[in-house]
This record gives sequence, C-alpha cells and structure tokens, in this order.
Amino acid sequence: MSAADDEAAVQKVLAGDIAAFEGLVRRWQGPMVNLAYRFCRDRGRAEEMAQEAFLRAYRSLDRWRREAAFSTWLFALATNLYCSELRRIPARMVALDDIAEPRDPHAIDEGLEQEDQDRAVRRAVLALPAKYREALLLFYFHDMDISTAARSLDVPEGTVKARLSRGRKMLHGKLSQRLLTPLVRKEA
Amino acid sequence: MRDADLDRILSKEEEILPSSGFAASVMEAVQREASAPPPIPFPWKRALPGLCATGLMLVSVVVASILLLNHGAASRPFPSQWRAALASIVETWKTFGGNWIALALVLSLASVKLSMRFASSRGSRPERT
Repeated sequence: MSAADDEAAVQKVLAGDIAAFEGLVRRWQGPMVNLAYRFCRDRGRAEEMAQEAFLRAYRSLDRWRREAAFSTWLFALATNLYCSELRRIPARMVALDDIAEPRDPHAIDEGLEQEDQDRAVRRAVLALPAKYREALLLFYFHDMDISTAARSLDVPEGTVKARLSRGRKMLHGKLSQRLLTPLVRKEA
Repeated sequence: MRDADLDRILSKEEEILPSSGFAASVMEAVQREASAPPPIPFPWKRALPGLCATGLMLVSVVVASILLLNHGAASRPFPSQWRAALASIVETWKTFGGNWIALALVLSLASVKLSMRFASSRGSRPERT
C-alpha cells in the first residue's frame, strides 16, 4: 500500500464503506503499536492505546486535510493520545535514581552487560520529565528525523532540538554515574 | 556515555508484532462506533430562553450590587426603582427556591469533580499476567 492507497481508502470510508478502514488498520497497526509500546513498555497497554488511536482516527477522518500524508496525520493523532494517556497514567517504572543496578554485583568492575546497559538507558528515558521523554521517543521512533518528530509533536523543530539536547544532558547526568560502558573504559 | 552511545542504544529498539486479533478487534470497535446512534445534541433552542433569563438576572444582580455599593459609599439614598428591582430579584430567587438550586448545583459539581479525581488518580493499573 502507498500513500495514494491510504487516500483512496480514506475516501471510501468517508463515502460509507467502513470495511475499507481495515486496510488502513492492517497497514499501520505495526508502527502504531510499536510507538505506543515505546511510550509504556507494556504490550497489552500498547495495543489498547493503539486501538483507541485508530478509533479516534476513524471518528475524525473527515478532519484530515490532505496537506500532509495520512501517516503524518495518524502519527500526530496517536502521539497526542499516547502523551496524554501516559501523563494520565504513567508507565510502571522505577525512579531514575534507582536504575541500572547490575544483575551481578561483581560485574561492577567489569562494566555492565550490554543488555543491562541498554535496558537501563531505556528505563531512564521513561523516567525523564514528559516533554523530554516525548521528544526523545519520537526522535528515535522516526529514525532520528527531527522534522517528522516535530510534526508528530506539533511543535517547531527548534523546540524538538532544544528538548533533545536537554533530555540527553539529563540522561548523561544520571547515567554517567552508574554506567561505565566498555567503550568509555577503553578510552580511559 | 556519549551521544553516539545513546543514539546506538535508542535506535535499535526491539520491534513487537501486534497480536493476531488486533486488526479484527479494532474493526469491531469501529463497527460498534459506526452503528451507535449519533449523540443527542444539546437542545440549545429550548435552553436559550432559560439561559438568557439567567444571564439577565445575573447581570441585574451585579449591576444592582455595584450601584448599591456606590450609593452606600456616597451616603446617598438608594433610588427606589433600583430597590424595587432588587426586591423583585430576591423575590424571584425565593419563589424558585434559588438557595436549593444553588446548593444542588454546588453539590453536583463537587460530586462530579470528586469522582473525576478518583478516576484519574487511580494510579497503577492492574497487573497483566
């Protein structure tokens, strides 16, 4: 399916062919659920949020102006919903100060396992204040494309850049005390 | 940890697949939504006279209160027509049980606010197994 197929499906739905919406759901279910999962780290909740996003998209399909691609509009709508959902009921997570405890205490001297480190970084991102967390999640979800992240968040690109920079600084501050990666050690 | 390390870690996210029944479940919800009767619109036409009357009454009360205060400050006698208007407003208020209406409104508002607060502050969701 292409952007033109999306538009054709939307036209059909608006004309009363509800079944045509299934094509859109099947095409975008993966990205929508994955985006939700990055926000909440809970598979079941991610599907619930994605379903609600699709339902909202269906309700407001006539408000999609063809200025941007259907996917851009859909992601902006979903981002808005996911952000408010997460602000309403935050994802279950540990406090930023409690992150990155190694599985094996003896591993401290050797640096954390890569897997532990990755998990710690992701948990630290979820523990950031909402606006920095959202900017980071969207930036990486959209393959580090600032303009797409900005469109999804409905803020100027400069704002996304500033939030990314501040968010990274906060992550560095918290993680550097706890995570000494093999890379850094080698450099030292 | 450098920005490049963050980029590397956060770029390679594990991808999850939606469950097999996800699309069907969405379509079911969409069908339900489509077959549901449209929401009943607020009856503005019927409510308009009442809203206008309430607005006028509120404006008259405010104006009367301001005039009363001004006259009181200047120690001048309050014009009888204003006094009569104020008395009629008070009378109407009493006739329609204004105090009870106000009390009911306050209680309704409080109960709605309280229930919304309880609903939103139900912090963690039940554990999924």
